[in-house]
Amino acid sequence: MGAFPLTHKDKDIIRLIGQYLKNTGFEQTADKLVDESGLYLEHPVATQLRSHILAGNWTKAEASLAELHKLLSSDESMMKEMKFSVLKQKYLEMVEDGKLIEAIHCLRYELTPLKFNTGQVHKLSTYVMYDSLDELKEMANWAGKGYASRQSLMEHLQTFLPIHIVLPPKRLDKLLDQAVSHQIHQCKYHNRSLSPHLYDDFSLLTDHICAKDSFPSRCTHILTQHGDQVWFCRFSPDGSLLATGSKDGMIYVWSIDPHTYEFSIKYSLEGHTYGVAHLAWSPDSKHIVACGPDECGDVWIWDIETGELKVRMSHSTDDSLTSVSFHKDARRFVTGGTRGQFYHCDLEGNVLDSWEGIRVHCVGCLNDNKTVLAADSHFRLRSYNFEDLSDQHLLQESHSIVSFTISEDGRLVLLNIDSEGRLGKNALISAITCHVTDIPILYMYHWYPYWDLKNNCMVRKLHGLKQGYYAIHSSFGGVNQDFVASGSEDNKVYIWHIEKESPICALEGHTQTVNCVHWNPANPSMIASVSDDSTIRIWGPAMPAIDSPSTSRSPYTSRLPQGGDSFANLSGRCTPV
Amino acid sequence: MLYFAVLVEKWGEYFLEHLGGKRIFTCAQCTAPLTNRDQLLSTRFTGATGRAFLFHKVVNLRYSELQDRVMLTGRHMVRDVACKNCNCKLGWVYEFAVEEGQRYKEGRVILERALVKEVEGFDDGESVDSSSSNQ
Repeated sequence: MGAFPLTHKDKDIIRLIGQYLKNTGFEQTADKLVDESGLYLEHPVATQLRSHILAGNWTKAEASLAELHKLLSSDESMMKEMKFSVLKQKYLEMVEDGKLIEAIHCLRYELTPLKFNTGQVHKLSTYVMYDSLDELKEMANWAGKGYASRQSLMEHLQTFLPIHIVLPPKRLDKLLDQAVSHQIHQCKYHNRSLSPHLYDDFSLLTDHICAKDSFPSRCTHILTQHGDQVWFCRFSPDGSLLATGSKDGMIYVWSIDPHTYEFSIKYSLEGHTYGVAHLAWSPDSKHIVACGPDECGDVWIWDIETGELKVRMSHSTDDSLTSVSFHKDARRFVTGGTRGQFYHCDLEGNVLDSWEGIRVHCVGCLNDNKTVLAADSHFRLRSYNFEDLSDQHLLQESHSIVSFTISEDGRLVLLNIDSEGRLGKNALISAITCHVTDIPILYMYHWYPYWDLKNNCMVRKLHGLKQGYYAIHSSFGGVNQDFVASGSEDNKVYIWHIEKESPICALEGHTQTVNCVHWNPANPSMIASVSDDSTIRIWGPAMPAIDSPSTSRSPYTSRLPQGGDSFANLSGRCTPV
Repeated sequence: MLYFAVLVEKWGEYFLEHLGGKRIFTCAQCTAPLTNRDQLLSTRFTGATGRAFLFHKVVNLRYSELQDRVMLTGRHMVRDVACKNCNCKLGWVYEFAVEEGQRYKEGRVILERALVKEVEGFDDGESVDSSSSNQ
């Protein structure tokens, strides 16, 4: 017995430790603990049950169950289910041993009379005719006769029993997993994938916290090839290329060296008369479709395997096409604009369908190859299905939806809302994340009266950026798409964690409005931003993993010397917000 | 009294907005608030029941499917609007005007005079909505 009377909490902890010791094979230490504390880890009957099950002593295990039944006066159906599980194990082991007569006897005179799950019993009866052991294991989803399956049977039984009889299986592990996942959740800069063995990456001995160093917060490259404002940028879906579009009428496709992360121009795609205001990669990274600003009715379809113009799609000189998005099949795309065009097209530039009566600000395809979301001139976000030509109202904003992006899994939509510049310098309400598909509601604000659409709700308002006059594009990114990055009219790139309303950092460096930001879909620590200052900036971790020789500088790339003080005004800074 | 009780119960089902203002237009049937005089753009329209008003912003509406209509001023895409509370037909909203000169009507709402009531509100200082007038 300890020196002090044990509190309720002490007793719980001792039982947890005891269970853990037993599970890891420190039997004697566990027994000693029981001895010294005067507590039992589990009820003696439960211990009996465990030893009978692990030994495959089914008759005795059933007797223990009956004893537990008396002890608990638990309800009949729960008891039946436990008994059924035990008999099922018994039956499967007999089948595996080839004792078919006994197995059928068990099925007929023990399992069937329970009248528990007749469907299961019927299924069990088919296992008698298995061809190989592997087939049996697969059919029954069963580990085979032995310790593993018996142990998992016991763990299954444990879930039925109250805690004063036996602890839930692996209780301490479960508690620690919860603690770690809570810490990860709280970690602002957590941006790495976890190995399946969680504890290879973490120590339980300290709280988990990611250093900011591994987070993309340092400007690694400034690309200065464009001759005018850069309006749009997108990494290819495979992450190996970056396309940037500018007012100078050019799209540069940059290839990214997979080892040194150096950028070099792969293609210069010219001829965009009015400039390039929007572009989309096909999901297979083989094509780019590019649009111009309001006065431009043409769409350019580029083959990125050859760098050749496939089609310049010109439907009518009165058209205005300013936004484009690919379907998942990489063969069809949608494009639209504010003069009322909303087209569904194929890669040859044919208009397959067109939707009338909507002025589109921004389009985006969901992953199902048919649903298209479009933000329109009535401040709405609606979904359009080009297969059955149905449409649905999703949400109504009080101001113009300038642009939006859909997360990779199609669960979240990030809206950039125009604040119309009326609120002055401190206009803060700008981006909102919303659920669009039928998943549980996370946050429902009562002042958001979507009385006809129960599943769409605002999840979070992200604030901190400045937007009033220009079309600014944002991006989801990072491991698990946990982050949002956006350009801003105060020349900064803002980054939010999607769980938090305020930005976690602001990247400084651009000297004019940042029009578009994109997070590399294949590299969670690479962000590209483009600005009216005609430059493209690439942002990477503060502590670069790779030391590339600075001599490999290409004429259009200025790679920033690491830690060079004289370049302090050039290099990006990351300020905590 | 019974009628009033029913009304209260029905109002509980929907969240109804109120734009405020000194002169309020309500649904003639159930008196749900719709808009006010500050939102009134023109009285020179004609609907199915006669005189109709064009408003900048109207709240508490249900919208029908999109419909193609050729009007005196050209082809328009409209949605019929009904009272959110009692589902009584009130007018229509212009979704899309094909003629460039008619684009000012997009997003604006026609309420038929015979289907709405104008009632006294009170001066609550500033009108709630002027926010979307820039569009």
